Amino acid sequence: MLLEISAFLVLEKLILVAIILGISLFIAMYSTYAERKLAAFIQDRRGPNRAGIFGILQPLADGGKLFFKEEIIPEYANKFLFILGPAIFMITACMTSAVIPWGSTLHIFGKDISLQVADVNIGILYIFGVVSLGVYGIMVGGWASNNKYSLLGTIRAASQIISYELAMGLSLIALLMITGSLSLKDIVEQQSHGVWYIVYQPIGFLIFLVCAFAECNRTPFDLAECDSELVMGFHTEYSSMKLGFYLFAEYINMFISSAVMVTLYFGGYNFPGMHSLHVSPNTLTILGVIAFFVKIFIFLFFFIWVRWTVPRFRYDQLMKLGWKMLIPLAILNLLITGALMLYLHH
Amino acid sequence: MSLPTILFWILAVISILSAIGVVVAKNPVHSVLLLIVTFFTITGFYILLNAQFLAVVHIIVYAGAIMVLFLFVIMLMNLNASGEPQKNNLVKFAGVVAGGLLLIVLVAALKKADTGMLIQGSTNIGLIQNLGKVLFKDFVLPFEVSSILFLSAMIGAIVIGKKD
Amino acid sequence: MNALISTAVFGIFLMISGLFIKSKQAIRILAISGVVAAFVLNIIDFRQYGASATELFHGMLSVTNFGLLFIEIILGCVLVYFLLSGKDLANIGHYTGEYFALIFFILCGVVLAATYGNMLMLFLSIEIMSIPQYILAGSDKHNLKSHEASLKYFLMGAFSTGFLLMGIALLYGATGSFDITTMNLAGRPIDAMALAGIILIAFALAFKVSAAPFHFWTPDVYDGAPTVVTSFISTIVKVGGFVAFIRLFHIAFGSPDVDKHWLLVLSIITAATLIIGNVTAVFQQSVKRMLAYSSISQAGFMLFAVIAMNVLSWQGILLYAAAYSLATIGCFAILMKMKDYTYDGYNGLAQKQPLLALMNTIFLFSLVGIPATAGFLAKYFVLSAAVEKGGLLWLVILAVCCAAISAFYYFRLIWAMYFKAGDCQVEEHAITPAFKSVLALTALLVIILGVWPGLILAWI
Repeated sequence: MLLEISAFLVLEKLILVAIILGISLFIAMYSTYAERKLAAFIQDRRGPNRAGIFGILQPLADGGKLFFKEEIIPEYANKFLFILGPAIFMITACMTSAVIPWGSTLHIFGKDISLQVADVNIGILYIFGVVSLGVYGIMVGGWASNNKYSLLGTIRAASQIISYELAMGLSLIALLMITGSLSLKDIVEQQSHGVWYIVYQPIGFLIFLVCAFAECNRTPFDLAECDSELVMGFHTEYSSMKLGFYLFAEYINMFISSAVMVTLYFGGYNFPGMHSLHVSPNTLTILGVIAFFVKIFIFLFFFIWVRWTVPRFRYDQLMKLGWKMLIPLAILNLLITGALMLYLHH
Repeated sequence: MSLPTILFWILAVISILSAIGVVVAKNPVHSVLLLIVTFFTITGFYILLNAQFLAVVHIIVYAGAIMVLFLFVIMLMNLNASGEPQKNNLVKFAGVVAGGLLLIVLVAALKKADTGMLIQGSTNIGLIQNLGKVLFKDFVLPFEVSSILFLSAMIGAIVIGKKD
Repeated sequence: MNALISTAVFGIFLMISGLFIKSKQAIRILAISGVVAAFVLNIIDFRQYGASATELFHGMLSVTNFGLLFIEIILGCVLVYFLLSGKDLANIGHYTGEYFALIFFILCGVVLAATYGNMLMLFLSIEIMSIPQYILAGSDKHNLKSHEASLKYFLMGAFSTGFLLMGIALLYGATGSFDITTMNLAGRPIDAMALAGIILIAFALAFKVSAAPFHFWTPDVYDGAPTVVTSFISTIVKVGGFVAFIRLFHIAFGSPDVDKHWLLVLSIITAATLIIGNVTAVFQQSVKRMLAYSSISQAGFMLFAVIAMNVLSWQGILLYAAAYSLATIGCFAILMKMKDYTYDGYNGLAQKQPLLALMNTIFLFSLVGIPATAGFLAKYFVLSAAVEKGGLLWLVILAVCCAAISAFYYFRLIWAMYFKAGDCQVEEHAITPAFKSVLALTALLVIILGVWPGLILAWI
């Protein structure tokens, strides 16, 4: 029966949620540090190096600064929506992690504990749903600021996210045809015994990757905040921790989309040779989690690297790429995948 | 009362209140946001009925895409609370009478509704596998034909929207 | 279901052809050949289906030879429409391929309206007929009235679709079925939910066929839309709406237990439509607007086929579809060649273009219902169907009076053409021998159907 939940399960899930949220926030925090260090490396600078050794405490200092700065709400802004905007953006960014399988099961206290908050049978669609809601954070905040740059940034962000969601969904359908399941757990388990799905879906992955960049509003698709044209885009009027939320949520989004890409195309918590290791299941699970995070870090590194090497698109180029290239390519990929599957099954 | 029943009542109350809010709100942006809340509660009903796929699709399509475009248009048109034209009292009165009559008819229709046909408890019809089978077997023709509907709507967007 | 597939495929084909073919002429010829192909394919289909319904696609379609015959008539009328007005349609704007594609999609909706066996398909068919209309009505982008027509039609249409869906939902709640044959309302006591559903559906469909008091959009939309589009939406689509209406009410709600609940409502709608349509048409100065009101009044006559519910009414709607569509398409084709759309603009047409004036007279005779034209027999069939049904004599008498009123405004046009001196402005270059001959053939068809209805009726 639906919704019959034991107290122990609730406790277990709550702890898991707390840990995952903590890790997401921690990684998001240190992504900012990594970003600045990498930028410095590429631009032949030193980057932050004052707080702690190698500037390792810099994110904490940044966080502290944002917390204690003066909070300004513009006089003609819609107060309620102005506060609601960053809240929605942050909440939706954190919600996506619920369906990602961070690892296989752990066996402790005589119970099997799954390292996934919720194994819903439509996991990947859940992520899509939540991501598509994230745009409200931008729209509400940008509109409520009552500033023309904010509004322009808002409109750009919203149309960009909606446009790229289409290509993303289409590229995903080709993958789902192979997996036959929408549950992320199933998809990962399938890759545990076979090859990673990147082998079957290279084009699909490429489209997904490009769209992930666009969905996260990352360079080369950061037209929503496009400093040179729109000051700061949708968060021009924001200050203090509300600004912090917007910036922070962006890194969480990056982290989660890396996790999703790893889960879908790079085997999730599986790693080569895991079945020939003769260690206890718990150790294997922990090794899997480590492998998962290593893969995620590689993607995060890629995200940052791209930001400091590739220039920004023009807005019409962005739309052209989304609608006239990625969507047709994704449909073609879908057709070829379908035809091949039909051919191989008969 | 079981947990689903409690959840149902909570959702129902939010749903109705926010739906009323959509109509009552003076600011169009508030209306749209309340409508999104209404859609959320409807999603909640789907989940209570164990129709997870429908629930998520409802979020992705309605809340995630359609309402964003709504909001888009309203923001671009810069509609304000004061921009709404005042209707004269006669029209308002006629509207109240007509709406009230419709309400009476619908209440009468639903009051004696036969609930015998309702499927009790949770079923699996809303799960994606079952839905897919139904959609591509029994309802394959409407499924395909609706593509013509969408295609003509898309043509319309281009024919009407594009600058000559 | 060749007709369904061919119209859909040709629609898509024409949509894409707009991308590659720049010549409007070529696209028009493609469209005409598409209709001819659909026409022929439907004839091939015709032999396979009999008078009893054949269920297709798990009961989504229920195909009878009536439905196929109706489709055949519609395709014939569209062929005439393309031959007479295809050039005007191609020249509304830049999107020639798309305009024809939309027409084909509407045809697809009409095909579904004539064959649906399920409420879901009814909804889809009504929507597929409606949405392209909103677009076509607004396709003249340099004309503000066209925008107004499109928006008005869209908003009102969306509202009525809401009623339709609500009605379907209530009916589903009451019967537990979407299938129009297994709904079986007669089998058990009818409750308030089913009744509310029936009435809401009736209102929504009455809106789609522009029956009073749901007709308020009609004059503005028909007047504002480009004339060539008005010609199409006031004929083919309206008749398509009627076939959906009549099939639903006969098959699903037709049993005596059920029909006593809605018969009076529809009778009142019919009476109101007849009176409002005819009386208002009298006061119009623009022929285009007069034809808009005339289409309302003709809808009143077609409603008789819905409320009578017997064999005669089925035959009547077939004849009416052909007679009304052909005559109205013909009238509009001539109207499009005039530079001034008022009655005075027709002054002296008989001297300048005697053939056009004669043809127009024949079409108007048919619309009035003068004997020896198809319009007469069509009216005769639907009215005698109502007489046979019994209890509707008051309505029949009202209809006859209204037909007499209609003679006034139709004859006023004939009067202007023949007996008023004047210098009417005609687009001479557009009146080619081909146009004239198609017009003459159409008029001939109207007369042939008037003396030999068996041409159509022999097939069912």
